[in-house]
Amino acid sequence: MTDCDKCEQLLQGYLDRELSDTEVTEAELHLDGCDYCRRRYRFEESLRTYVRTTAAERMPPGLMAKLAQLRTTDPGTFTV
Amino acid sequence: MGEPDTAEPDEARRIAAEARDRVRFEEEALALADQVYRVARRFVSTREEAEDLVQDTYARAFRSWQSYTPGTNLRAWLLRILTNLNVDRGRRLQRRPDETPLEEHDYYLANTVAASGGEQVLDQDRVVERLSQDSIVTALSSLPDDFRDVVVLVDIGDFSYADAAQILDVPIGTVMSRLHRGRRLLKSKLAEEAVA
Repeated sequence: MTDCDKCEQLLQGYLDRELSDTEVTEAELHLDGCDYCRRRYRFEESLRTYVRTTAAERMPPGLMAKLAQLRTTDPGTFTV
Repeated sequence: MGEPDTAEPDEARRIAAEARDRVRFEEEALALADQVYRVARRFVSTREEAEDLVQDTYARAFRSWQSYTPGTNLRAWLLRILTNLNVDRGRRLQRRPDETPLEEHDYYLANTVAASGGEQVLDQDRVVERLSQDSIVTALSSLPDDFRDVVVLVDIGDFSYADAAQILDVPIGTVMSRLHRGRRLLKSKLAEEAVA
């Protein structure tokens, strides 16, 4: 397995912050020295940010009031 | 020791404590509504369905609040209810995962967009600028359910692999492979959109 294959395996976990410290070091060492993987990393990272920001839709107005009506307790009797 | 009967005050204190816990639970759950809705919205095709799903989720959560263990991840607990309701009611956008093997390399999106612009050198930073908000929503909704669920939970819900595994009741390895496949599919769908 080449370093790039290994990095390909690590990239997803690296971007999702799911790697162990050892794996993070391994991935970063490779990224430092490999232009191809580094560009891929930047691309994947911008794509994730894009998905996260564009596809997230705020709750419509009025829904919170409907949810509050489903409560079984009296609102305002206790504040978190 | 001077109290003639301690049973009644104890019972009253227990009931009062339970009422406080219940109010606290409901307020903490409501504080997460916007985050729950964001995930729900991408699980179903319309805003109305998402609103219904979130309302059903909260109705069930408020009824079965005692099965929640305080101190654990309440957002994941709510999403577990929501995911089960969504599956039970057949509201999912598609029924079966697409098992067709992917030919495209992960770099497909970037390469396709670059090629369509006649660029010799791949400009990574500008690729996503060419995509519209509609393209990502369309691409996400076209993913097979099993893949979309994981992508939505991790990328939009910001859940860890472990939380996503718990919510969907699948092993963590399944989350990782579905995520990998789901994102690859997403990229190839986006590439189609980008050059269309």
